[in-house]
Amino acid sequence: MIAENKVIEVKNLTKKFNNLVAVDELNLTVFKGDIFGFLGPNGAGKSTTIRMLLTLIKPDSGTIKIFGKDLLKDRLSILRNVGSIVEKPDFYGYLTAYKNLEILGKISGIDVSKKLIMKNLELVGLAERYNSKVKTFSHGMKQRLGIAQALLHDPELIILDEPTTGLDPMGMKEIRDLIIYLSKDLKKTIFLSSHLLNEVEMVANRMIIINKGRAQVEGYVKELLNKNKLFVSIEVEDGQIAFNIIKDSRWIDSMRNHINNTFEFNVEANEIPYLNKFLVENDIMVNSIIPKRSLEEYFLKITQEANNGRFNKN
Amino acid sequence: MVDLIRIELYKIFKKWRTYIGFIALGILVPLIHIAMLIEGKTTIDFMTRNIQESFVLVGNLLNTYLISYIILTSLAVHIPFLITLVSGDLLAGEATSGTYRLLITRPISRTKLILVKFIAGFIYTNLLILWLAFLSLVLGYFIFGSGELLIIDGQMVIIFESNDVLWRFLLAYGFATLGMTTVSSLAFLFSSLVENAIGPIISTMAIIIVFIILSAIQVDFFQNLKPYLFTTHIMSWRLFFEQPLDINEILKSGFILLGHILFFFFLTLTLFNKKDILT
Amino acid sequence: MLLLILFFLFIDLKAQTIDPNQLVRDVIERFSQVRDYEADIEIKVDVEFLKVPDSKAKLYFKQPDRVKLKSDGFALLPKDGVDFSPSSIIKGNYTAIFERKEELNGIETSVIKVVPINESTNIILSTVWIDNKNKIIRKVESTTKTQGTYTIELFYDENSKYPLPKQMIFSFNVDKLNLPQTFTNTTPKSSKKKFRDGPVVGKVYVNYKNYQVNKNLSDKIFEDDTK
Repeated sequence: MIAENKVIEVKNLTKKFNNLVAVDELNLTVFKGDIFGFLGPNGAGKSTTIRMLLTLIKPDSGTIKIFGKDLLKDRLSILRNVGSIVEKPDFYGYLTAYKNLEILGKISGIDVSKKLIMKNLELVGLAERYNSKVKTFSHGMKQRLGIAQALLHDPELIILDEPTTGLDPMGMKEIRDLIIYLSKDLKKTIFLSSHLLNEVEMVANRMIIINKGRAQVEGYVKELLNKNKLFVSIEVEDGQIAFNIIKDSRWIDSMRNHINNTFEFNVEANEIPYLNKFLVENDIMVNSIIPKRSLEEYFLKITQEANNGRFNKN
Repeated sequence: MVDLIRIELYKIFKKWRTYIGFIALGILVPLIHIAMLIEGKTTIDFMTRNIQESFVLVGNLLNTYLISYIILTSLAVHIPFLITLVSGDLLAGEATSGTYRLLITRPISRTKLILVKFIAGFIYTNLLILWLAFLSLVLGYFIFGSGELLIIDGQMVIIFESNDVLWRFLLAYGFATLGMTTVSSLAFLFSSLVENAIGPIISTMAIIIVFIILSAIQVDFFQNLKPYLFTTHIMSWRLFFEQPLDINEILKSGFILLGHILFFFFLTLTLFNKKDILT
Repeated sequence: MLLLILFFLFIDLKAQTIDPNQLVRDVIERFSQVRDYEADIEIKVDVEFLKVPDSKAKLYFKQPDRVKLKSDGFALLPKDGVDFSPSSIIKGNYTAIFERKEELNGIETSVIKVVPINESTNIILSTVWIDNKNKIIRKVESTTKTQGTYTIELFYDENSKYPLPKQMIFSFNVDKLNLPQTFTNTTPKSSKKKFRDGPVVGKVYVNYKNYQVNKNLSDKIFEDDTK
C-alpha cells in the first residue's frame, strides 16, 4: 500500500498510568476505506488508544499520524475530519437531541442547518424525537444519537468505540448495517473497537487484536480467521537468535507476535512440522510448541484470562 | 468565538443551578427590604446614636442607598457561594456528564475551550451582580426612595449628598464584579482539576471563609497577612465610599484582584492543556 | 487731688454697676418681639469625624421655645445651636453675675456669667457676651455636664428690625464619637485611619436668610412627624 492511503498510522505508542502500562509499544495502520476492527478483551488498552487517537489523552511516547499528519501538531485540521464515539454515549441531558447536535456542529465549526441535523437524526432513526431532552432517551437511543453526532460534520474517518455495547440484538444489527452503509456507500474509513470477535468478523475487512496493551495479531480478517490456519505459540531457548533467523525466512510472514523467547505464528496445520523442522535445522532449541488453536480460540482464551483477572481482583 | 460563548451561555442558562443565584438574591434582597421597613428606623438610630446625642438630624437616611450599601456588605460572603455554584461546574460539569469527550474530540483547541468557558463564567458573574444592583438600588428606590448615604467609616461618619452616590455605587458594583470574578476564576481552576462540581464549590468557599476568619483575628501576624489575602481586596469596593477617594488604594486592590484572576486563569489553562481526559 | 481721684473712682464704680439680671431681661424682652419666624438656613459642618455635605433647610421658631428643623434632604444642627433665642440660652432659674466689659469684634459687650440654679439642666456655667446697646447676645460659651464646652457666636445684620442673626458659628470640643461597629467600613487601610485620642474641635456654620417674622406659624409645623 502507498503512504497516502494510510489514514491512521500508529508507531510505538505507549501510555502509562502511574505504574500500569495501559498501551505498550503499539503499532497499527489503518488504510483508506478500511473497516478496521480494533479487538481486545476489556482492559486491553482499547479505550486508552482511542483516547490518544482523539487527543483526550497525551501519549508518553510514540507517534500518531492521521491523514499523514502528526496528530499533536495538526490536531485541529485532523479532528475536523474525524467523527467519534468514545465509550458510552453521553450528551447534555438537559438539552434536546436537536440542540445537542446543533451545539456540537457549531463547535466543529460547520454550518449547522436544520436540514443537516434532521438528516442525521433520520439516518439513526431519531427524527421523531428531535425535540426530546436526551435525558429521556434509552441507552440505545443515545448510542444512535452518538453515531449521528459522529457523522454530523461529514468526517472521512469515523472512530467508534464499542458502538453496540448494551444494545439488544436488533439494535446491534442496525448499527452493523449502518457501519456497512457508511463504508460501502459513503466511502468512510471506520475504526471500530470491540471486545466481540464475531462482531468484528461480520463487518471488518482488517483487524488487530490487542491484549495487555500490546498488539497480538494484525491483518486481513479473512486471512486471520481462516479456519485451516492455527495459532501456535512456540517457546525457544534464545529468542534473539531465533528472531534473526526467522526474519530472513519465509516464516516471518506468518509470525504474528514475538515477546522475548515466545513466538506466535498463524499457520496452516500441515505446516507446523515444517516450521519445527526449520527451527531445529537452524540450531534453535525449541522448548515447547503450545496448543494449536484457531484465532477464535486464542481470542476466547485471552478474553477469559482478562475476565478471570477482573473477577479475581474483585 | 462569539458563537461559542453564546453556546456556553445557553448551556449555563439551561441548567437549573444557574437560577439558584438569581432566585436566592430575588428572595434575600426583598427580605432585607422588608426587614428594613420594619427595623430600619432602629438601625439608623443605632448607627447615628452618638451623633444624635449632640445633633438634631433631619432627612431620609433610610433610603435605597443605605440599604444597598448594607446589602452589599452583608452579602459579601454569600454571593461568592452563588458564583461558585456555576463557576465550579463550568468544567467539572462536563466531566460529570461525560461530555468532555464530545467537546475535546472536536476541532477546537483546549485553550479556546477554556477561554470561552471563562468568559461565559465572567458574563454570568456580571449578570448576577447586575441583578443584585437592580434589586438593591432600583427596587429599593421604589420602596425607600433616594436620599443621602450615611456611612460609618472607621471612626468617621460620612454623609454623601444624594447626587454624589450613584456613581459610587456603579463603580462599587463594578469593583464587586472584579472581586467576584476572582472567586469565579478560583472555582474555575478547581473545576478543571476534578470530575464533580461539589469539590470546587466547597474548596473555593473553604478558602474564602478561612481567609475571612484569618483577617478577622486581631493578632499582628494575621493582620500583617491581610493585605496579601485576595478576600481583603474583594471588600475594596468600599473604598468608593470614602471622602476623599483614595485612588491609589483602589488601583492597588484592583490590580491585586486582576493579578489573581490572570494567575488563576493561566494556571487553569496550563493544567487543562496537560490534562488527560479520563471521564 | 484726692477728691479728683475719688471722683473718678466714683465714676468708674458707677459705670460698673450694670445690673446683669436687668440686662438679661432686656435681651429677652427685645427678642419677645419675635413671636415666630421662619428662615432658610445653610449649614456647613467642619468636624473631623463627621463628613457631611453642606446642606439647606428651613428653621421654624415659635415662642416660647418651639423650634423645628425641616429639610427635603439631609440636614443636621448641633442640638444646642438650634434655638438661639435668649430665653433658650438662659433657661430656668439662674444667677447672673456681671464679669467685665469687653470689646468683641469692635462692639462693646458686657460679659455676664450665668449659673443655672436648677440642678436638672445640663449646663454648668454659661458666659454670655451681651451687646448693651442693641440688647442682643453676641456670643455664648457654655460648659455642659455631658457634651463638653461649646461656643455660639452670633452675627447680625445691623440694620435688621428684629434681633435675629444672619450667621451663627457653633464651636465645640467633644471626645471622638463611639461609633457602632456594624456596617462600618473596614477596607484594607482603615486600620491606619485612627484619630488621635482626646477631644476634637468642631465648627458648624449656619447662615440664616429670608427671615419671615410674625407670620403666625401654624402649630402643626412643630408637631413631630416621623420624617
